Amino acid sequence: MKSLNKLSYPYIVWMTILVVLPMILILVLSFTNIDIFNIGSFNFTFDSFEYLKRPEVIEASKNSIRLSFFTTVICLFIGYPVAYYFANTKSKNKQLYIALIIVPVWSNMLLRIIAWEKLFYPNSILNMFGISFDLIGTDTAILIGMVSMYLPFMILPIYSVLDKMDKSLIEASRDLGANTLNTFLRVVLPLSLSGVLSGVLMTLLPSMTAFALPERLSGGKTLLIGNIIEDYFMKTGNINAGSLISIILMFVITFLFIGLLRFDKEGDTLL
Amino acid sequence: MKNNILKVFTGLAYSIIYFPILVIGLLSFNKSVKGYSFTGFTFNWYVEIFRDDRLLEAITNTLLIAFLSTIIATIIGTFTAIGINNLSKSSKFKMMIINNLPIINPDIVTGISLMLVLSLLPISFGMNTMLLAHIFFSIPFVILTVLPKLKRLDKNLYDAALDLGCTRLQAIYKVIIPAIKSSIIAGALIAFTMSIDDFVISYFTTGNGFQNVSLWIYSRLGRRSFNPAVYSYNTLIVFITITGLIVFNKVNNKRSLKEIK
Repeated sequence: MKSLNKLSYPYIVWMTILVVLPMILILVLSFTNIDIFNIGSFNFTFDSFEYLKRPEVIEASKNSIRLSFFTTVICLFIGYPVAYYFANTKSKNKQLYIALIIVPVWSNMLLRIIAWEKLFYPNSILNMFGISFDLIGTDTAILIGMVSMYLPFMILPIYSVLDKMDKSLIEASRDLGANTLNTFLRVVLPLSLSGVLSGVLMTLLPSMTAFALPERLSGGKTLLIGNIIEDYFMKTGNINAGSLISIILMFVITFLFIGLLRFDKEGDTLL
Repeated sequence: MKNNILKVFTGLAYSIIYFPILVIGLLSFNKSVKGYSFTGFTFNWYVEIFRDDRLLEAITNTLLIAFLSTIIATIIGTFTAIGINNLSKSSKFKMMIINNLPIINPDIVTGISLMLVLSLLPISFGMNTMLLAHIFFSIPFVILTVLPKLKRLDKNLYDAALDLGCTRLQAIYKVIIPAIKSSIIAGALIAFTMSIDDFVISYFTTGNGFQNVSLWIYSRLGRRSFNPAVYSYNTLIVFITITGLIVFNKVNNKRSLKEIK
């Protein structure tokens, strides 16, 4: 069976070209004044670092951290009980309930963002029910939008861990005299930690780097770091500064990832 | 009592996830083009899907890319996973780190990376580059879904197949693949889901006016050419998926009832 390992070799080449090569490219772009569309002579320079001090970049970083943090906390607060309910329900429609959490992902995300956007303007379809919101540009609008998009990604990993957990452990804990709260805190929660970690990563990372959602739900007022990168690459042509921000973002996320994995003793978060 | 609290949370989760989808459904039957108020009931937008050539093209492109990238990524991913499963422990670990990089990387960084690499190659941006990008981001998910099942598979199955006269290729598609069929299907479903909804990576890797539904929407936001027929398209997709699920669930429940009897 050992000979089958050759089947993985083409993938190494593929990933080198499409993952490792662009990373080197982004790194080179960050520290030079190279023009990607017209590669000629170039110098090493730290010019791109000047961009990091710009108020819009600092503001966007703060926004990204704040909004992704609150999104993750809210998703965990709502998502954990839901996952717990799914894992313990005896309903024969259990599989259907869980599938219904995934279905919305098939519905176009941009359209779902637009649906929220339309509701958050004072003049909306909700007026016929006598309701009117004026939320565009507020953190509330972005948080509602983000929770609505990313909640399924919190529920599913927690559910899959809770569902596999041996239910007799709970009975054992009760028999040994622990009350409901203690059983939860000292038995259920520690055992479901790997699911919580995957869930946190799967909501934190996309909400931190979203760019269409904040653009629509803030009316262009609240920029996240994703908006800055998109702006530098596609609109203002500051590809070198955009590369530097991307590489920093990649480092931050890799460290977050490694940091969270350390909590996972079983080692089955994503790996 | 405790169960009721859990039910309230579950209800809350369904509401916040489904609310925008219901609004899209409502807008798909709304006579008003702008969608600021409900001016009357109409089926017109469902007919309009087939009249708006650009939208229809975007829908065809989305489905074409989704099917092609799913099929190709599932095949490559499955074979690669079989290969990875037979690597030594340390090279397996290194492989999985590279494999997981695109998964943890933000979409926007993946999109930019691909754009940079592809711009160095002598190919023009368009359907080819977008298809390549979709295959690229789907493969890691297929590998991640298939690998755990392979790990649990009896190592001797493959050798037994060879001893019994199978060629190597036969041993793979007659023995290994049937044994991991369910996780291959799960992997393909994830790949399809990722592709059909992708916006960010498509945004950076397309060109020559090639659009999927997400790009069609993004380029028309707030413009007059935004056709509410796209609400109808979305509502149809959700309706078909949910109906399919409910039917599947009924059939499954009946089957398990019979087995008990």
